[in-house]
Amino acid sequence: MPQIEQVTHTLDNGLEVCIAPDPLSPAVAVNLWYEVGSFDESPGRTGFAHLFEHLMFQGSAHVASGEHMGLVEAHGGSVNATTSTDRTNYFETVPPGALELALWLEADRMSSLAISAENFQAQREVVKEEKRQRYDNQPYGDVLELLTAQHFSPDHPYGHLPIGSMEDLDATSLDEVTQFFQAWYQPSNARLVLAGAVDPEEGLRLVERHLGALPGGSRPPHQQAPAHPGGQGELTVQRPVPHNLVYTSWRTPPSAGDDHVALDLALAVLTDGHASRLHRQLVRTESLAQEVHGFTLHHLRDASLTMLLARPADGIPGARVADAIEAGVAGLAADGPTEEELERAVAQYERDWLLQLATVEERADLLNDHWLRHGHPSAVEQRMATLSAITPDDVRAAAASLTSPATRLYYERTSQ
Amino acid sequence: MSRPTVSLQQHWSFPQPEEFKLPGGLRVWAFDLPGQHVASLELVMPAAVTQEPRDREGVATVALHASDEGTRAHPDGQIVELMERRGATLDGAVAQTWTRLGADAPAHRLSEVLPLFAEVVHQPDYAQADVAHHVELQVAAFESRLASPDAVAAQAFRTALFGDDHREGRPVAGTPETLGGITRDDVLAWHRQHWTPAEATLVVAGALAGSGLEQALEALGDWHADSPRPPHEPPAAKPAHTVLGELAEAVQTTLQVGCLTVGRSHPDWAALKLGAHVMAGAFASRLNLELRERRGHTYGVRGGVSARRHDGLLTMGGSFRADAAAEALDTIREFAALEEPFTDAEVADARRYLVGIAPLANETAADIARQAAALAAVGQPASFVNDHFAALEAASTESVTEAWRRHIRPDQLTVGASGPAGSLPVG
Repeated sequence: MPQIEQVTHTLDNGLEVCIAPDPLSPAVAVNLWYEVGSFDESPGRTGFAHLFEHLMFQGSAHVASGEHMGLVEAHGGSVNATTSTDRTNYFETVPPGALELALWLEADRMSSLAISAENFQAQREVVKEEKRQRYDNQPYGDVLELLTAQHFSPDHPYGHLPIGSMEDLDATSLDEVTQFFQAWYQPSNARLVLAGAVDPEEGLRLVERHLGALPGGSRPPHQQAPAHPGGQGELTVQRPVPHNLVYTSWRTPPSAGDDHVALDLALAVLTDGHASRLHRQLVRTESLAQEVHGFTLHHLRDASLTMLLARPADGIPGARVADAIEAGVAGLAADGPTEEELERAVAQYERDWLLQLATVEERADLLNDHWLRHGHPSAVEQRMATLSAITPDDVRAAAASLTSPATRLYYERTSQ
Repeated sequence: MSRPTVSLQQHWSFPQPEEFKLPGGLRVWAFDLPGQHVASLELVMPAAVTQEPRDREGVATVALHASDEGTRAHPDGQIVELMERRGATLDGAVAQTWTRLGADAPAHRLSEVLPLFAEVVHQPDYAQADVAHHVELQVAAFESRLASPDAVAAQAFRTALFGDDHREGRPVAGTPETLGGITRDDVLAWHRQHWTPAEATLVVAGALAGSGLEQALEALGDWHADSPRPPHEPPAAKPAHTVLGELAEAVQTTLQVGCLTVGRSHPDWAALKLGAHVMAGAFASRLNLELRERRGHTYGVRGGVSARRHDGLLTMGGSFRADAAAEALDTIREFAALEEPFTDAEVADARRYLVGIAPLANETAADIARQAAALAAVGQPASFVNDHFAALEAASTESVTEAWRRHIRPDQLTVGASGPAGSLPVG
């Protein structure tokens, strides 16, 4: 397991900085997380956090619209941003000689973003095309929305997706989005990770030079997730899609302080690859389904959602497949994994983890992810120790936390 | 604080492999990459799908994906279980002119994984039920593509470019009609004839010191070919026209616009690569700035030239608000006419990107193995990458403009699209 050297520091204005040098790397990753996501939006005003992911590239005091992306690419770097329920991340991976430029670009937009009526209008149209392209115009494009709605009411902070409602965006004034930016986009609500070809001392000096003078301010409190009732039983929808799908889902622990390792291993024993239990049972032996998969949608401050899904074989009712999935989970909850099953799941987990750490861009993102979820970036180094300490009974217990009955979604092909 | 200056002084080059042949004839490229704890294997076999029987199209794809379900020594899922317990995972792909089987595994376990990998290559079991399952998966994947705007536009583009009567105009993985006829015998026959080391290359990349690679390769040592591969005949493009794949409920129109052009071996290749990046590849490309940033008609334009075995392919496109798609197509044609020559600044930015992104694009063993395999698959040496970078550095702004004007004719652009009927003029 490679060691990840880290230096952390907090600037006077509250910006937290972590530098993870790697002299073998050809590049340096600049990874800035603002602790704001769709969780921080209000009913009727959704999609703001994601809208800023767009507006942040529309220019600032010394940078023209679109110039940020153009400049980084023109120096052989890669640049992008993503928005989730709990954070918005901005990242540039650049040759070492362009590190200072990347920090200057981040500082300029943190302090002087151009939130003009013109930028707002244009990016609102781009976001509408993004929603059409990625959701409305894709088969199964509303699955995530339906699953979320099965577990959270529309007024719950996790009750809507980050892309938000286009009606909300249309009804929003420029003042409202400006206030959202002023509240959340400040040094004390951000964490900056530099990973790769950077000397920690030099890196800190450059960060201090470009971001140290920005004014500090108190970070706003996140809203409290309200208590809410359990899963919503089952739902059947008909859509013009090629195949029926069955989703069984459960509320699992928030990701704050929890890496879900035992749960991920349980999902791997059940669904990862041809050798997994549910594949062998549902696909190979009983011909109930053609595919099974599992994943968890992580939420920081309230229940994460763990899903097992299957594509039923022709003529097999969805309920029968869902019953078989739940029986498979119950079997693992009763007996736990065999030694071979656990060995396989651990070996696959370890390879995936090492692959994620192999690029500076992902390493920087993982450091920020662990910082948000555990309070310190070095939590990333605990992962292999956690993994090797997992016992068969831990995996059994994780499967036992997926209690019956699961929440079910039958996503059916419209009959023609 | 004024804008910092940037100093780019590093010189990067693509690593060169140790190259040798196994006794049976398989060529090996071994990249020793210290620090890369996850190693990558890529076996590329230049088996062209033009060799598939017309009524069994998709057999190459089924043969690939069913290969790891079981081997004669480890049937019924045992082989993949053995590989996975050693931290290995398999993947692969079939393209028009090659089949690729790959694996990622911890470098220190390569010596255990390679013999299992060789078993998948040599003696897949292809049990009746496994073949039937993979035929069903490919039929399902075909149906899924019919519902995907991007896939429908891409198929419309291939149909328009090559026609239904050429293999390249039809889906690589077959159609429900051709897949439905595929039997275990067909798959075994395809495997026997085309999974051979003739012109094939095994790429191994990772921290190889102490991995026992040499000894482990004995598992593939006596793999040999009984006959050479038949020559591959590239198809000619049809005259430019437009094909719309109708998706009645679509809320956007998706366009793929382009043409066949010169490939890697042409002296204009690097210049064309630069021009296509300025036109449609960069975020700050001419088309993306106009259609996304100025007009808000799309989430993004993407495009570029990609190399094929004997030639190259220019594509440009994206998904557009349905009522703006015809206008977007006019804009693409207008920009492709290149009335305004490329500027020094545009070409310099594209060059710095295409050269400068290389270290990032080749950061892991898997990146390097994939890049090398893509070259090996079409008979190019691994040194191509560094020669190409030198050509990118040498291309002048004028040569980039001239190459575009010489090879790209706006009136000869083929259009594949998906969307509601009537959202584009067709024919």
